[in-house]
Amino acid sequence: MGEQKIAEDNVLAIRDLAVEFKTDIGMTYAVRDVSFSVPRGKVTAVVGESGSGKSVTANCIMRLIQPPGKIVSGSIDFSPTRTDGYDIVSLSNKDPRLFDLRGDLMSMVFQEPMTALSPVYTVGNQVAEAILCHRDVSEAEAWQEAVDMLTRVGIDDVSRRIHQYPFEFSGGMRQRVVIAMALVCNPELLICDEPTTALDVTIQAEILTLIRDLQQELKNSVLFITHDLGVVAQLADQVVVMYQGRVLEIGTVRQVLKDPLHPYTRGLLAAIPGLAQKGERLETISSVVGDADLETPYPLTQMADGRQVSLSPDLLREAGHE
Amino acid sequence: MSETLLEVNGLSKSFDGVVAVDDVSFSLNSSETLGIVGESGSGKTTLARCVLRAIDPDAGTVRFHGKHGQYDLHNLSERELIPLRQEMQMVFQDPFSSLNPRMTVQEIMEEPLIIHGIGDRASRREAVLDILSRVQLEQDALTRYPHAFSGGQRQRIGIARALVLRPKLVVCDESVSALDVSVQAQIINLLEDLQDELGLTYLFVAHNLSVVHHICDRILVMYHGRVVEEGPVEEVFNNPQQDYTKLLLSAIPSPDPDVPLVPIDRANLNL
Repeated sequence: MGEQKIAEDNVLAIRDLAVEFKTDIGMTYAVRDVSFSVPRGKVTAVVGESGSGKSVTANCIMRLIQPPGKIVSGSIDFSPTRTDGYDIVSLSNKDPRLFDLRGDLMSMVFQEPMTALSPVYTVGNQVAEAILCHRDVSEAEAWQEAVDMLTRVGIDDVSRRIHQYPFEFSGGMRQRVVIAMALVCNPELLICDEPTTALDVTIQAEILTLIRDLQQELKNSVLFITHDLGVVAQLADQVVVMYQGRVLEIGTVRQVLKDPLHPYTRGLLAAIPGLAQKGERLETISSVVGDADLETPYPLTQMADGRQVSLSPDLLREAGHE
Repeated sequence: MSETLLEVNGLSKSFDGVVAVDDVSFSLNSSETLGIVGESGSGKTTLARCVLRAIDPDAGTVRFHGKHGQYDLHNLSERELIPLRQEMQMVFQDPFSSLNPRMTVQEIMEEPLIIHGIGDRASRREAVLDILSRVQLEQDALTRYPHAFSGGQRQRIGIARALVLRPKLVVCDESVSALDVSVQAQIINLLEDLQDELGLTYLFVAHNLSVVHHICDRILVMYHGRVVEEGPVEEVFNNPQQDYTKLLLSAIPSPDPDVPLVPIDRANLNL
């Protein structure tokens, strides 16, 4: 009964996910024992540095891991409202449900808008194509929906712009087009992988505002991958902190950013220049973490206030776990 | 308190009729860090390159106070510039593309000394070892190639290469932008330590305003090739005078969830 209740609240439940990459020196884990859930209708941020496994985790959800990478164990239970749920990991590569998953039930916004768009098709063509792939509508209807969606993401003069090619758009405008493509089929889960990292800070602020406003309007679930805690603070309801392929801490945005339990999370926050006093040396991860153990994969422990953290038994007691 | 190192006056540069830098003037004191901030296309990198004569400006003057007197960089020939290049060095953004993958770290760091005909084999080795320890790399790094290093370590190699000639002026063009936040903090601390030890003057080009706030004494805010605001960093951050500076500052997402992001309003921008 309890299991059932949790499944209903979450659009996605990742359990014990492990991904290996075959390299010259043997198998390397990109992700191991990763478990977290994405609550429905909320924004979940996965935050971590390069090599933390945050993008690999996102790619697993869309089944985009390709050789030499391989999902070796774990499950990703997807519970859409429009259709029956299933474990994404267990689908075969030819399963028709994968086609529905990619672009219809879920969609993804990538870091670099130019590589996500084809240079040889007009933007209207590319947004309409997403609809024509997944909906039984005429071409004219698809184009009309494309016009509506592009207007909604803030493209001015859409009737003219829709016939233009991606190179005629600025970086910020291209990212708006990619967001329109991603949202036009009204996905239940939108995955954003560093969508504002390549943009200027002013354009980033505009795109973050757009994603936040659209999420509140459409009430879809968002998984937001980023390395920037400022972006996390502005957008997320729930935060998952990853480090070297493992989850270190999960909690609400206020719990994790205002009162981090894990020394690594404290280090990430302290290393942001704005928080240090001018003229003082910046804290680095190692100066904050000290001799706390980051290498041993301690299990995620459920704390009293609903948050989870992976700490050594000593630190766990200090954090108030009985 | 300290003497002027660089005076830039009326510097302008266009590319095929597109104005990149438009009548920019500033001066830079010894041991000072001046930040140049702005969005992509604001002309900050072009300005930095014009100052070093990496590209030739269309108009304006750049006066550099070198070890052996004052020089008007804009008037010098390429040949006359060569000895001055020892005193002005650059650290680049991308720690991957800015190091030659076919050279060992020893070769990368020694090359500037060889080009400028400084010292013999033994004294060059000594200079390389000295700078290597200053950027906190181990001696066994010398025989390895750039691919064997992480992004942060490569940036240390890039900094060492710039400093081996003992320059007075170092231009850092987005030198910490490509790094993870924890590595970025280490490199910022390193740049500040080296400035104290070696009396360096930095021209620090960046789009990340929190980094600029931390490391710079004064800043120039650029927009469409022009300087829209200039001043001591605390003054500009605490009391920005221009609408564009206010907009730029308000766009930084705070890591405090209780400080909401203000939507960008370009319509009321008075430029």
